[in-house]
Amino acid sequence: MNGIKHAVLDPKFVSAAKFDQEPDWLSEMRNQAFEKSQDLPLPVFAKVNYSSWPLLEFSTKKQADLEIPKSVKDQLADYTFVNLGNRNIKNELANFLSQGVILCSMADAIKNYGDLVQKYLYQFAIDPNEDRLTAINLALMNNGTFLYVPDNVQLKDPIKLLTIQDSRQEEMFIDHTLIVAGKNSRFNVFQRTETIGDIANPAHLTAEIIADQDSHVQYNSLDCLGPKTYAYFNRKGHLKEDARIDWAMGIFNNGSTIADFDSDLYGVGSHTEMQTVAISTGRQTQGLDTQVTNYGRHTEGNILQIGVLLDSSTLIFNGIGKIIHGAHGSKAQQENRILMLSPKAHGDANPILLIDENDVIAGHAASVGQINKKQLYYLMSRGLSKEVAQRLVVRGFLGVVLSNVPIPAVREQMVAMIERKLQNDPESK
Amino acid sequence: MATLKVSNLHVSVNDEEDKKSKEILKGVNLEMHTGETHAIMGPNGTGKSTLSETIMGNPNYHITKGSIELDGQDLSTMTVDQRARAGLFLAMQYPVEIKGITNLEFIRTAVNVTRNEQGPLPIKKFLDKLKENLGILNMSDKMTERYLNEGFSGGEKKRNEILQMMMIKPKFAILDEIDSGLDIDALQVVAKGVNHMLSPNFGVLMITHYQRLLNYIHPDQVHVMMDGRIVKTGDASLAE
Ligand SMILES: Nc1ncnc2c1ncn2[C@@H]1O[C@H](COP(=O)(O)OP(=O)(O)O)[C@@H](O)[C@H]1O
Ligand SMILES: [Mg+2]
Repeated sequence: MNGIKHAVLDPKFVSAAKFDQEPDWLSEMRNQAFEKSQDLPLPVFAKVNYSSWPLLEFSTKKQADLEIPKSVKDQLADYTFVNLGNRNIKNELANFLSQGVILCSMADAIKNYGDLVQKYLYQFAIDPNEDRLTAINLALMNNGTFLYVPDNVQLKDPIKLLTIQDSRQEEMFIDHTLIVAGKNSRFNVFQRTETIGDIANPAHLTAEIIADQDSHVQYNSLDCLGPKTYAYFNRKGHLKEDARIDWAMGIFNNGSTIADFDSDLYGVGSHTEMQTVAISTGRQTQGLDTQVTNYGRHTEGNILQIGVLLDSSTLIFNGIGKIIHGAHGSKAQQENRILMLSPKAHGDANPILLIDENDVIAGHAASVGQINKKQLYYLMSRGLSKEVAQRLVVRGFLGVVLSNVPIPAVREQMVAMIERKLQNDPESK
Repeated sequence: MATLKVSNLHVSVNDEEDKKSKEILKGVNLEMHTGETHAIMGPNGTGKSTLSETIMGNPNYHITKGSIELDGQDLSTMTVDQRARAGLFLAMQYPVEIKGITNLEFIRTAVNVTRNEQGPLPIKKFLDKLKENLGILNMSDKMTERYLNEGFSGGEKKRNEILQMMMIKPKFAILDEIDSGLDIDALQVVAKGVNHMLSPNFGVLMITHYQRLLNYIHPDQVHVMMDGRIVKTGDASLAE
């Protein structure tokens, strides 16, 4: 297993990643990003050392299309759009078609809506020149989802995406979700990620949300990648005037993860709420950075990260609030809370404020602690066993974010996931 | 008829400041049966809450001598949750707040775990019962959707303790200063809840330092506690 630090990527991966009938502009972008990637530094996740992770151990084997397993078939009905590896296996776009909404795989988007994709892909939100991983993600992107909601379209029903890493065989999985919210549009996206099969493939999942003037996007995600998957996430929002993005993300991967969640508040009056819940178990390491950058005047960004640790796992939250000079009247608040259920776990919550403007309101709160004994006693005094009481306290602790998830079915999925993680815990028994 | 019996109970706590063990209860004797209403009165700091917490099984309190028995079974080896499932209930002087868990979800869980052998109460029955009890306590439905005690006023917390008691239906309930901080109206409501519970299968031990509560819930026996001991026992007239 080759750690990422010394990994040298073969250019053959770029050709392997290309979509069918890919236009030159994209191939050109890939090539440039690939070349550049050699010189760019790896991103820094404070207090997380991932240099030995095999994040770039890709495979170019020619893949056979395996059949859709029952576990996936059973879930299809719950989603609007499902990608299994680099195959789209379900798309209910028809329900939204009349409003001019586009929802398709990245491969189809490149083919059918090339101009639109070209206008947004890696243009506003994620900068491919930022670090080695952003560059590699552009260069090697081999699947993804494109969602375009035109101006003034307001969707009542959530768009539910299921993105599956197919690890039944060696397979490169570099997924990019591109979401464009037109002016004054309003909608709700839920993206769930998971792994099937138990081959050790790394996963790279990036998402860009470009929120135009007065749009309001709610992005909820639930990440449940497999135990053998080393994962890199990068989700970034670009907000124009008075736009708003509410993020509520559950990071429940079973393998080690680094994740970078960002919102750039460019437009005057734009606003984001970035909320994350995470659970680390076993020997897992998860390092999550959430950053809001206030560029525009009267912008507001609030970060809430809540995490629970079991066993000998590690969970690091870095919350970064950055206010650029000139962003008068901006607000940046953050709260990072970690609950440790095991003495062998390692948790850390680091608020970082970088403020280059006087006329702002900024603040942070952070805590790393054990379970509240008084709460446990109170619940047990009503007959709840220690395990049940503990699960309830933990759920309550995470519930602050869960209650902000607007889709009840998603909330239930998250609760079920939390229960499962806690029940597998040998320490709490 | 069930019996709760406290014999020559000595209890120590470790002082939070100097970490030294300090004896609080110095030989308490008390026997009560279901169907009876008892009251313990006494000035602040004499060990009334210590007695309640020790009976319930709060791990901060250590029994150094004596025993607590429920129907002849020694409670000292039972954990808090086992005691609760055996039929003990403590309405706490300071109920804790838990964000993120709704009151409803908590009460439902508590009701079901204390019903072990009978299996969970069907949701419809549970909700009907809840509604009825909320009515008796003059509580709005909304109180059950809020997080457990979170942001509740002092009076709301007390009512919520009584609501839990009415739903769980213990054999013995200890009400630790259920009257403190309540105005007359709220006090009457709480008393109504307790009186509603009275039956040959339920015993209640009220702890208070005001006579006022006993105007609304009439005790069969009153015990006066001083400096870690019960110094006097008599009928309701002792409270006057
Ligand atoms: N958990 C505790 N830790 C340390 N001291 C305690 C604790 N609980 C009670 N005490 C002490 O025990 C004594 C009796 O307290 P308490 O039982 O609360 O009395 P009451 O309820 O009669 O007012 C007091 O001196 C109090 O400070
Ligand atoms: Mg007291």
